[in-house]
Amino acid sequence: MDPRPVEQRELEALSRRERQRQLRGTFAGLAEIVVALVIGLFVGALVMDGAGYDWKLAYEGLLIGAFGDQWAIADTLASATPLILTGLVFGLSARAGYFNIGAQGQMIVGALAAVAVGAHVSAPPVMAVTLTFLAAALAGALWALPAALLKATRGVHEVISTIMFNWIAHYTALYMVFNVLNDPRSAERTVRVLPEARLGAIIPGADMTAAIFVAVGVALFMYWLLWHSPWGYEMRIAGLNPSALRYAGASPLWSVNLTFILAGIAAGIAGATQIIGRPPTYALYGDLSNVRNLGFDGIAVALIGRNHPLGIILAAIFIGAMGAGSRMMQIMAGVPLDMVRIVHGTVIIALAAPEVWSLLGKFLSRGRARREAASTAHSKTVQR
Amino acid sequence: MPDRSAPPAGAAGQYKPVSVLAGAPPWLEMRGITKVYPNGTRALENVDLRVAKGEIHGLLGENGAGKSTLMKILSGILPFTSGRILLGGREVSLRSTHDALAHGIGMVHQHFSLVPTFNALDNIILGRGASLASPDRAAARKRIQRLMEETGLHAPLDIPIEQLPVGTQQRIEILKTLDRNVDLLILDEPTAVLTPQETDQLFEVLNGLAARGTTIILITHKLREVLALTNAVTVLRSGRVVGSRLTEGATAQDLARMMVGTERLPEVKERRQHEKTEPVLRVAGLTVKGDGGQDAVKNVSFEINAGEIFAIAGVTGNGQSELIEALSGLRPIANGRAYLLGHSINGKGPRELYRMGLAHVPEDRHRLGMVAQFSVLENSILGVHHEPRFRRGLPGTLHWGKVRRYARDLVHRFQVVTPSLATPMRSLSGGNQQKLVVGRELAKSPSLIIAGQPTRGLDVGATAAIRDLLVDIRNEGKAVLLVSADLDEVLALADRVAVMYEGEILAILERHEFDRERIGLLMGGVHDGSAAG
Amino acid sequence: MLVQSLILAAIHAMVPLTVTATGEILSERAGVVNIGLEGILLISAFTAVIGAEAGGPLAGLMVGLLTGALLGLIHGIIAVYFRGDQTVSGVGLNILALGVVAIGIVDRWGAAGFHRVDRAFRVQPLSTPLGAMSPMVIVTILLAALTWYLLQHTNLGLKIQACGENPAAADAAGVRVERVRMFGAIYAGALTGLAGAYLSVDWLATITENLPAGRGFIALATVVFSRLNPWLAVVGGLIFGFFDALGLIASTSQELTRIIPYQFIQMMPYVVTLLVVAGVIGRFRSPSASGQAYRRE
Repeated sequence: MDPRPVEQRELEALSRRERQRQLRGTFAGLAEIVVALVIGLFVGALVMDGAGYDWKLAYEGLLIGAFGDQWAIADTLASATPLILTGLVFGLSARAGYFNIGAQGQMIVGALAAVAVGAHVSAPPVMAVTLTFLAAALAGALWALPAALLKATRGVHEVISTIMFNWIAHYTALYMVFNVLNDPRSAERTVRVLPEARLGAIIPGADMTAAIFVAVGVALFMYWLLWHSPWGYEMRIAGLNPSALRYAGASPLWSVNLTFILAGIAAGIAGATQIIGRPPTYALYGDLSNVRNLGFDGIAVALIGRNHPLGIILAAIFIGAMGAGSRMMQIMAGVPLDMVRIVHGTVIIALAAPEVWSLLGKFLSRGRARREAASTAHSKTVQR
Repeated sequence: MPDRSAPPAGAAGQYKPVSVLAGAPPWLEMRGITKVYPNGTRALENVDLRVAKGEIHGLLGENGAGKSTLMKILSGILPFTSGRILLGGREVSLRSTHDALAHGIGMVHQHFSLVPTFNALDNIILGRGASLASPDRAAARKRIQRLMEETGLHAPLDIPIEQLPVGTQQRIEILKTLDRNVDLLILDEPTAVLTPQETDQLFEVLNGLAARGTTIILITHKLREVLALTNAVTVLRSGRVVGSRLTEGATAQDLARMMVGTERLPEVKERRQHEKTEPVLRVAGLTVKGDGGQDAVKNVSFEINAGEIFAIAGVTGNGQSELIEALSGLRPIANGRAYLLGHSINGKGPRELYRMGLAHVPEDRHRLGMVAQFSVLENSILGVHHEPRFRRGLPGTLHWGKVRRYARDLVHRFQVVTPSLATPMRSLSGGNQQKLVVGRELAKSPSLIIAGQPTRGLDVGATAAIRDLLVDIRNEGKAVLLVSADLDEVLALADRVAVMYEGEILAILERHEFDRERIGLLMGGVHDGSAAG
Repeated sequence: MLVQSLILAAIHAMVPLTVTATGEILSERAGVVNIGLEGILLISAFTAVIGAEAGGPLAGLMVGLLTGALLGLIHGIIAVYFRGDQTVSGVGLNILALGVVAIGIVDRWGAAGFHRVDRAFRVQPLSTPLGAMSPMVIVTILLAALTWYLLQHTNLGLKIQACGENPAAADAAGVRVERVRMFGAIYAGALTGLAGAYLSVDWLATITENLPAGRGFIALATVVFSRLNPWLAVVGGLIFGFFDALGLIASTSQELTRIIPYQFIQMMPYVVTLLVVAGVIGRFRSPSASGQAYRRE
């Protein structure tokens, strides 16, 4: 006889079952992502095939370009660096219930601040790098704040406001590049940041710099914030049940501001990584091509990483690999770089509808139930 | 419309007892209905139900017994797993409300199915007529007016639903259903939001309808209603039929035994007497605005003493919610003052009020009192999560180990049944969710606890447990402000009762003055023989 | 002269915003929100050019409309039947569009990022006292009128509004919520597709990698401005269109760009959108169940 009281035994049995269910849940979550990725790659192959490209060669090129050798891997990680940060922008905001798609604009402003400070403030190397990052973070946060205030005080939907701020940032940057931060020696980029503000390549010949550690550090901070601090606890309440936030004694205004400020900081740092953390240019291009689309790719990263800081790191490496590998894809199979965007979009659309999988499961089990029902003598009407 | 050309089954108001159990032929038959939810929950197990034409049939059972589920299946809202439904001897397929209405089956839900921004007329014509045609409001108006006269159900047709009192909304809901030529009218707990007087009116209307040949199924957990209205009753318990019997000759005790099984109906704990002291809460001339900017609470004054349960009775929607929200810091006070232990609470938020000794079990537990997706662990510190006792050395870090010890203690003390602390709150039964919420609030060791509808929607066991907790803390000398639409609960627990009607307190009664009839009249706005306001 | 051409340009800039917003108004009334309008504009602008070059401008408009309807259908299936996250699905559509069109342009015309639509394949303008005007302006007004009539004066309109406000009530009244919502999603897609076609085979007479340039989002702002009334979407379209046109005209005017850098002129529609949404309108209540999947129980 088990000497423990019945209730306790029951409780333990139940909690075992609970653990199993959680494990199954995690597994199902991962499986969903994997299936979505496969669907994305499949649709990509279909499109390439339809457009007359050799999709097998293209994917081979993608793989080689992303993971073929140590330089390729370093390039993948370099591409992943800003994506971790812009992914965190969206992911953190989504956890708090906001659809902040303003990473693009906040990042551009961060990049401008990085050029302004990095090119003009002379200081010892570590100091210069720190100052540049801080300036970029501050700029990103300030650019993100109005959207939060408009949301809190005027009820302006953040999707509209952040998109508008993205375009305003875009044109502001175009103006700054040519009129304020322009380099008299080159028409196509801004001035370059001073050597002491630059982060050097870790593996010579590849793009990866210490910026990746900054990005991972920010991700770890966000993880700590969300799950191990009372502020993150409140942010998650705001995301799941905003009414309960006031009941719990927290201030919704403070929560939305904090969320957008932290997201803006991550975006600003992302901008800085493209200026001081990516050889060899160390400047912002006139067509903004070295910050182009990174904010939007961050949305894909966050959604694939399920808005979890650690998931975002992995997803950023995946999307980064596609970015880094796409050049080899273009060389080997002639497929345009934008091909990967079709894959991203499809993956996201597939992830938007998690019920597809449960419906699919239900459909399969219904077939089984119907066969079983048919085999029994007293067959009952099975509805739907 | 019900077949009104047929001769009435009896003179109006005095119907012939019709029931399958009395030998009448069955008109509606549900055979062996089983419902299994995708997550494996077996909501109904082999349920049979037989009802004769023109019968008023009661469907009795506790919360969660499966009454609503069975009727949602009959009205085409829910699919079922196995079983058959026969109408007039022929099997019917009810895959949508559309199908059910085509067979003359209509249901009036507990939560009304009215579009709040539409007026009554538009709600009634919704879903009818050719899609691209203009709605024929004139014809509909004529039809509804005739229906209103025939049934005695009256309601304004041109005012948006959201501006109408619940009793009126319910009448519109019934009119809407009857307008669909319904032969079988299902009503889900129709009296939950009505005053005793409104209930009597409704029953009169239902008797009239049955006399004209409409079959009625009444879902309820109130024995009195079954005895007052029905021909026969079917009792459900945990998704199975306990039995069916004619109402004639049945007693409340018989039905209660069928409904809750052999367990005795729990008694409320004994109350201890206290010396009168300084009031814990003093409310003076309080006015609070509602969501629409109107005065939802009008110049209300009262005091609550230590060791007292002060209840606010009234039909839902008469300003009780706004009053609670204002007193708990969730809604601004427009005018007047309120003092907790002598300190003004005007302009204070929930966190400050907590520090002043207030705990709050919110009316709407799902919206305010918990985060459904959070675990039991995370929910156990909602509202106290910022306190240093849950921190770790590293600045600002939550010490989950300490939180776990705290949560485990709560779960033990308040007997919350949960598979584990990591279980998401939404997987718990309503009773266990509420036990955790109440426990969490009591653990704040407050001077005053505000409890809004603390047992609404809970089963008998959980209800008894929560009522006991409230009496316990009263006996410990704490003050309790209980807001409840359940008159039985108020009468059982309260030391004093204030009746609220349209934002005003019409009367405050001492325990020896408690009288069901009188309180019922006050809830309907009738004060000393004259209608208020 | 300048005033006249500015008015004409504003009317032309109004068309895509109002047509898109009008469709989205009906969809949001029914309970489906689509923030992928920008992507639908882009893809259908692209397919419309292919259609026009194969079968003339009218074919181009039809192809655009059908493309939009198809994308609306996909979004609708995800939102309505799979009860997916509508915002995520919309974002996916926007990203997908960027890829599809960038590759499509290269694949179809061999030139990266840009293709000019020949005069022969463009919609022919009507001559009016104001000057040459696209017939799509009239179509826009007709669509606003049609949508307004549908919503306010038909049984279908009642059903649509009920599905957005309280789908459970609509369901109980025998309305097939899924079908009504699918209609809304496809209607919004189709109108947005038509607007996309107008961008490429009519107004801007070109297709680029990012032709709508945020107009899908400005259309969403127009929806907010309109408080879900199609007539106000015409007004909103004119206001936002005016600044859009101002940017387009002013950035080519030498005298003006000397005083104000052209980047700031081009920024104007976005700044104005922000100011209008924030300042003039303030809060408004969208249908209670808009953007939420409907699930029985």
